[in-house]
Amino acid sequence: MKKDAKSGITFMQFIFIIHGSQLGTGIFSLPKDLAEHAGTDGWISLILGWSLSVIASIVIVLIFRKFPNDTLPELMIRLFGKIIGKVLIVPVIFYFAFFVWTILTSAMMFIKQWFLPMTPDFVVMLLLIAPGFLVARKSLRILGRYCELVFYIMMVMFFLFLFPIGDSHWIHLLPILKEGWFPVFQGVSSSVYSFLGFEIVFFIYPYLQKKQMAIRGVVIANTITLLYYLEVTLICFAFFSPDGITEYNQPVFNLLKIIDFDFLERIDMLFLAIYLFEVSTTWLPFTFGTLLSLGLLFGTKNTAPSASVLFLLIVVLVFFIHPSWNQNAEWMLFIGTAGIGFAYVFPVFLYLYVLVFNRLRRSESL
Amino acid sequence: MFGIFHFLRKIRNSKYRDSNKSVASRVNNSLSKKLSDNLQYLNQLFDMAPDLVIRHIHSDQGAVYAALVYLDGMTDKNSIENNILRDLARGKAPNEVSVGSIKQTSEWKQIEYDILDGQSVLFVDGQPKATVYCTQGWPQRAVEESTVETSIRGAHEGFVETRSQNIAMIRRYIPNRELKIKELIVGLRGKTKVSILYLGDVANPDILKELETRINKIDIDAIMNTGELAEFIEDNPYSPFPQLILTERPDTAASHILQGRYIVVVDKSPTVMAAPAHFFTFLTSVDDHNSRWMIASFTRILRFIAAFISLFLPAVYIALISFDYEVIPVQLILSIAETRSRVPFPPILEAMLMEITIEMMREAGIRLPAPIGQTIGIVGGIVIGQAAVQAGIVSNIMVVVVATTAIASFLMPNYDMGAAIRLLRFPMMLLASMFGIVGIVIGAIALVAHLVALESFGTPYGSPLAPWRFADMKDMFIRVPIWAMIKRPKSTDNIQAIRQNKHRGDEDS
Repeated sequence: MKKDAKSGITFMQFIFIIHGSQLGTGIFSLPKDLAEHAGTDGWISLILGWSLSVIASIVIVLIFRKFPNDTLPELMIRLFGKIIGKVLIVPVIFYFAFFVWTILTSAMMFIKQWFLPMTPDFVVMLLLIAPGFLVARKSLRILGRYCELVFYIMMVMFFLFLFPIGDSHWIHLLPILKEGWFPVFQGVSSSVYSFLGFEIVFFIYPYLQKKQMAIRGVVIANTITLLYYLEVTLICFAFFSPDGITEYNQPVFNLLKIIDFDFLERIDMLFLAIYLFEVSTTWLPFTFGTLLSLGLLFGTKNTAPSASVLFLLIVVLVFFIHPSWNQNAEWMLFIGTAGIGFAYVFPVFLYLYVLVFNRLRRSESL
Repeated sequence: MFGIFHFLRKIRNSKYRDSNKSVASRVNNSLSKKLSDNLQYLNQLFDMAPDLVIRHIHSDQGAVYAALVYLDGMTDKNSIENNILRDLARGKAPNEVSVGSIKQTSEWKQIEYDILDGQSVLFVDGQPKATVYCTQGWPQRAVEESTVETSIRGAHEGFVETRSQNIAMIRRYIPNRELKIKELIVGLRGKTKVSILYLGDVANPDILKELETRINKIDIDAIMNTGELAEFIEDNPYSPFPQLILTERPDTAASHILQGRYIVVVDKSPTVMAAPAHFFTFLTSVDDHNSRWMIASFTRILRFIAAFISLFLPAVYIALISFDYEVIPVQLILSIAETRSRVPFPPILEAMLMEITIEMMREAGIRLPAPIGQTIGIVGGIVIGQAAVQAGIVSNIMVVVVATTAIASFLMPNYDMGAAIRLLRFPMMLLASMFGIVGIVIGAIALVAHLVALESFGTPYGSPLAPWRFADMKDMFIRVPIWAMIKRPKSTDNIQAIRQNKHRGDEDS
């Protein structure tokens, strides 16, 4: 597949696609998850998780440096041959599609719980997917522009979270490392989940126009995500008591509830509705990855049919399965574990393999 | 099967298209030496055309030696009588006649076209050539100010229906030899002249190529208006948003050219078209660069807010009233509930009723002659507004919402964009009535996704917001001082960016 300059994405778009796919519905429960393991030191785990994800993303970029025009499926075929390569793509497709499914179902359940308790599941799912279809069947360039615009729209969010600062007690954060490093390391696992999403680099790197900026790009993207997470976590820790925070499932909402203006109440509801923008930038890049791999598997460039099939499948599945919160939590856990394997462990092995592969190829050609 | 279909279509097309085949099949394409043959053929060609004048010109001996042919009404009588006929009677040779532009041709097709175009043709006996004098002069209206795009301080001249005059008006703003004009012809019967104007060293040639291909692909009888042409060549015909700027003002057109855009002037139409266009160009008005920059920025921000209001306000009202009333503070919800207590309809019906009434009043106001048009406002405002509330059909709050929305929609400087936003309001209202705030947000996401995916001649429609072009922001939400806009907007994809070199004069000294 040719990646010409016209379908390429700019440096900024590269950053925002990665950042967008990292920041999803996970942010709402992140403070609670961190507090459960690491108490009020959770923010240290967050920074550790960030450094892990930065290392992993840099490894991914290093892999692709050697093959600047390949996306992951193409690389697989190049490295392992046509048949094994194609077989190896299948789990990747499943991973990405399942990621889309998990994000969408969790977003759907949020909507159902907060806004439309009486509307059938599949209708809500249709609502969520319909605007995405407009983007998903287009090229990556459109997706890049979309993620960029949404990032600017959602910048308001960052400042909204600052409102409760006046009511928070920073003393809750002290003493730092009260129980030593061990709980902090335990917390890293849940923070590592939250950074999942940077594996989209596997697919978007070849489209980046200025490839020499890629490492800078992934670092910036991860850092923006870290800033959001840190802000939310720190404010939640400072606002709720260290024990109380674990009592809420989504402490961020309880935090937003206390913001209210004279002309508007329940900012949390409005916020959640507008957050759907952010959610859409989470699942759309993964959809892009899925569609790209599917296209390569079946040898077509037109993504519209596979997009329709994928979306239809999701709606039909929702219609029959009726996902529940518990199921969703299980899926989250599963995708998290798979994600750690795919995004953190797999690149390292792939990188080693690529090194060996290149050495072998060079010696062959000599 | 497809073969048959194709064959049938070919037959149908040939029947429908070939307007002059019966004559053309009999006579060859070049002129005869004998004048009588030529005139006979001309009579066949222009069968049933009483406005065709054939003026015989006699020699001193009384024999007919030449004939001047023209269409009455399409030509300038003064010029024919005082210049051509008088000079010919005085015995001047055909190409010495005192008319501005003279050419010779021997092609019947060309002659036919020239006569229909308002030129007069002189046939001389014994010569297989005809002389074509430029004597065009059809009914014209004077240059007047555009009623659709008014400006406070800008020029008060608007385009007219004659292409050459329109081009002249633009050239007066840009008297530069880099102002290139490319001519194309559109339409099989109409043969409308279409000119593309651009700055040769600024505008991107790729866009010109694309523009030309698209215009040349048009295969139609005739186009009446620039809007028709625009619909043929725009990128996405299934979008509510206008993708080409239509304007009636020469100063706007000239400023678009200077920004690196292409202007398409269509003969017989007082609107010209500018491409490529972007979403935010439609929210700028002619006066923006003409008033002080702070005031211009203020009105521009006001305009963005108005666009938002006119798109979302009724939908938000419906969503808040019927779904998410927790969001409204208690005091407000109480007073809303009070005014709504007499209204038997659900909010969506109430809103639709009022919105459609307003839209009808607006349309009626346009169609009616100006003196009666004003009564629409009185009837609409007083009778519908007040009486509907008293009758308990709509609530007071709804009237406030609808009136605010209507006023906000009047702020749109571009008619097409205003219409698009007005139209999109209705799906938004429906979404809001079905799914509340979530519905509105979903609609907004779809809108953003659509805007981002749109392209105008290969340039992104959402520019400069998506993709982000910070330099272009100088002329978007706010309008920075003119002397600070050193470069042309990048979104027009131009090849020469610098538009001014020096800052304000006093800064250097």
